[in-house]
Amino acid sequence: MADVKAVLRLSLPLGIWLASFSAVYGLHGLLCSSRWAAPPLGLSERALLIGAAIAAIAAQSLCLAVMWSPRWQDPDLSIRRVSLALAATALVAAIWTLVPATATASCI
Amino acid sequence: MNALQRHRALSRIWASAPGLRGWFTTVNHTDLGRMFLVVAVFFFIVGGILAMLIRAQLASPRSAFLGPDHYNQVFTMHGTIMMFLFAIPLFEGLAVYLLPKMLGTRDLAFPRLTAYGFWCYVFGGAMMVFSLLAGVAPDSGWFMYPPLSSTIGAPGINPDFWLIGITFVEISAISAAVEITVTILRYRAPGMSLSRMPIFAWYALVTAVMILTGFPPLILGSILLELERAFGLPFFQVAQGGDALLWQHLFWLFGHPEVYIIFLPAAGAISTILPVMARTTLMGYGWIVAAAVSLGVLSFGLWVHHMFTTGIPHMGLAFFSAASTLVAVPTAVQIFAWIGTLSKGQPRLHLPMLWLLAFFATFVIGGLTGVMVAIVPFDWQAHDTYFIVAHLHYVLIGGFVFPMLAALYYWTPHFTGRKTYFQLGDAAFWLVFVGFHGTFLLLHWAGLLGMRRRIDTYEAGQGWEAINLIASISGFVMAIGFALVLIDVVINAVVAIRGSRDPWGAGTLEWAMPTPAAPYNFASLPHVTSRDPLYDDPALPVRLARGEGYLGDPARGRRETLSVEIASGAPRYITVFPGNTGLPMLMSAVTGLFFLGMLLKAYWLVPVSALGVIGCALFWAWSLGGTTPEGPLPVGRGPALVTASEAADPPGWWGSIFLLLADGTFFGSLLFGYAFLWTIAPNWPPPSYAEPSLGLAATVLAGAALAGLGARLRPLAGLVLGVAGVGALALAAIWTLTLVPDPAAHAYNATLWVLVGYALLHQAIALLMLLFLAFRRRAGHIGALSGGEPRIVRLWCDYAALVSLVVALAIGLPGWLT
Repeated sequence: MADVKAVLRLSLPLGIWLASFSAVYGLHGLLCSSRWAAPPLGLSERALLIGAAIAAIAAQSLCLAVMWSPRWQDPDLSIRRVSLALAATALVAAIWTLVPATATASCI
Repeated sequence: MNALQRHRALSRIWASAPGLRGWFTTVNHTDLGRMFLVVAVFFFIVGGILAMLIRAQLASPRSAFLGPDHYNQVFTMHGTIMMFLFAIPLFEGLAVYLLPKMLGTRDLAFPRLTAYGFWCYVFGGAMMVFSLLAGVAPDSGWFMYPPLSSTIGAPGINPDFWLIGITFVEISAISAAVEITVTILRYRAPGMSLSRMPIFAWYALVTAVMILTGFPPLILGSILLELERAFGLPFFQVAQGGDALLWQHLFWLFGHPEVYIIFLPAAGAISTILPVMARTTLMGYGWIVAAAVSLGVLSFGLWVHHMFTTGIPHMGLAFFSAASTLVAVPTAVQIFAWIGTLSKGQPRLHLPMLWLLAFFATFVIGGLTGVMVAIVPFDWQAHDTYFIVAHLHYVLIGGFVFPMLAALYYWTPHFTGRKTYFQLGDAAFWLVFVGFHGTFLLLHWAGLLGMRRRIDTYEAGQGWEAINLIASISGFVMAIGFALVLIDVVINAVVAIRGSRDPWGAGTLEWAMPTPAAPYNFASLPHVTSRDPLYDDPALPVRLARGEGYLGDPARGRRETLSVEIASGAPRYITVFPGNTGLPMLMSAVTGLFFLGMLLKAYWLVPVSALGVIGCALFWAWSLGGTTPEGPLPVGRGPALVTASEAADPPGWWGSIFLLLADGTFFGSLLFGYAFLWTIAPNWPPPSYAEPSLGLAATVLAGAALAGLGARLRPLAGLVLGVAGVGALALAAIWTLTLVPDPAAHAYNATLWVLVGYALLHQAIALLMLLFLAFRRRAGHIGALSGGEPRIVRLWCDYAALVSLVVALAIGLPGWLT
């Protein structure tokens, strides 16, 4: 089990970023396609995309908090530092790569 | 037993067969690593000759040296060979040769798989070279965009060679990646925790996982395009619901990570060589590991930056532009760590260091132009021009070839066991370095002046003549430099006198053995307590040769090494490796017949060779493990351990996990393609969606439940339930195909057929495994009775059940939603 935990600590932070980044891009594709229903509750495409981006950033923040927590830290100091660095990188990546949701036209 | 007696006993156990037979039956990583490297260098020479033909043609306007048909083949094959037959296999060869030595073990996790991968590479590469010699080489560019590569744009056999040959070669890459991943995680010297691993192993691990997740989209794209070309399944035909952009997505989902798959091993070599040249230790080991992992993952979020001009909405462009600029940060972290290492050490200007300096100068320029093309408005101007050609050569030659030349000079004493005697090295360096920049620096300007890539000739008066003439002359200067490097290395191997064990004064374990390496690597396995074991204990090689480490007693007369815990490196069990065999070569030849049948449209050969591959694979797996339990055995230095066949997580289980990672990525890419066509492709929806009945849904659910349950129950009941479950799933799959009888009618039908075909393939694998396990149990094999084999079968049965459920859901969804 310790083996799996060590691998997860190293692969999860940026794995979550990759999944959420792809999901937001996929959502963008769906929202801009004429074949799908309009956004629910009268929300605009941009509002939905910003919501998805915020959810992705929240997930990365949670991941960082988990890596920081003594309960989940790796017993090996080097691995602990690397997993923390990766979690911080993933949070910065989520903010930087999803910020266009707030600034650019959705479907042009 | 003294050191010499131990050496002789171990050599008898581990040596390859003598003479020519040894070439075809060896499964030893040292032999196969060298063979990989030699073949990769051969392909570099072929690709280099093609590059010279390109430069000869473009040296002057309106040149008649090559006609457009030949030129198209030449530039397509130059890119294809350099990417698929040189760069990736060179990494594989280096990793295959070095990793067990650096990790302090005796061989890779699956020696026969190494050999199988090598022969797939050789046969697939031979197929590509044959096409070139026969004048029917691929001619649609190395990224094979449809419709140029469809039957409309290329009705001949040319693209088929690419699609089928490269897919064949990719088996080699996937095999090597599984091999490397499991080896790094489970086959290290005892005590070598993750944080004590040599930095090259971290890079190789990231690269191998990237191959497992990066190559499947391209394999999928190649299969879809070949299905379109051979059987008319219209995945990329707009009129029938397909979309050519789907290819671009699948190709670049592979293609961008590919750049880092090429760069990261080179960065691993730099991180290994640079501290030794600077006579210090690596600065920021942890930061470099984090940067390598970050680079590996972030590179999967960049693929759309190759498609900025395809009409994607601005927000999508901005997402990928942001991600593309971000990737410069972990790259810079590594560069600064290397500069820091240089500044804290006392660098020596030997040849490896010279090439590393060339890397710094060149790669940084390539990286900066990379940031330029990550900016959308600039990319719109430079796209498909020679600016891009120049940029990619700065990245790939600067970021891969130059560090690999440093690696060549650094590890040649290890390959040959001779002193460094490189009389032509300096001259070769300056010819290559000056020639390279003379070729590609000015081509940035040619691109900005509007010179488009892939053109076979151009008119005078556009300001490109002088640039192209200088580039061509410089290209030939560079080629002479590369030739001198080869001559220099060959002279060294032939003429130089025997050298010492650790000529550079390095601290990693590959230097803790006599060179050239013995077939068993270490007479006994070390216990590692730091990242640079040789710095801590310079007498380590002597102590290992005396048998003071683990498994120093060869009394059991078989190929043994240790498997360890992933995180801590604590010894876990003994792995007994197979002996020399021609089975891998035979199996790769039969695999080649499968691809040849597809290529020549001799479809009778396809099922016959598929049965041959299954037969070989069953024979392969049957020979693993024994029928007599051995219990814990002494391994030296205290602990007693069981063999892998008595362990709950044998190497095969870990291999299956990582093979399923690649397999799952392939399936995910297929689902992405389906969603893409459904969402984006013109001429959707199809005339009608399949509407599965409740009976069909119930059959899938019952089949999946039974297959999952069968893999968990006692032998007889489990076998009956498992076979019944898989049978029900297969029945449901065939039933589904009757709902969309004509796969060539619309891309929707075609996609459904591929989804169902994928599910059927995995149901067949699960069925074979269940039956195989039953026979193994009956024959009394330890691994099948009490070891990890049932766990492996369970894994594949669960995957088949899961895939069947997801396919059923994906097929039913459109009908239910509309």
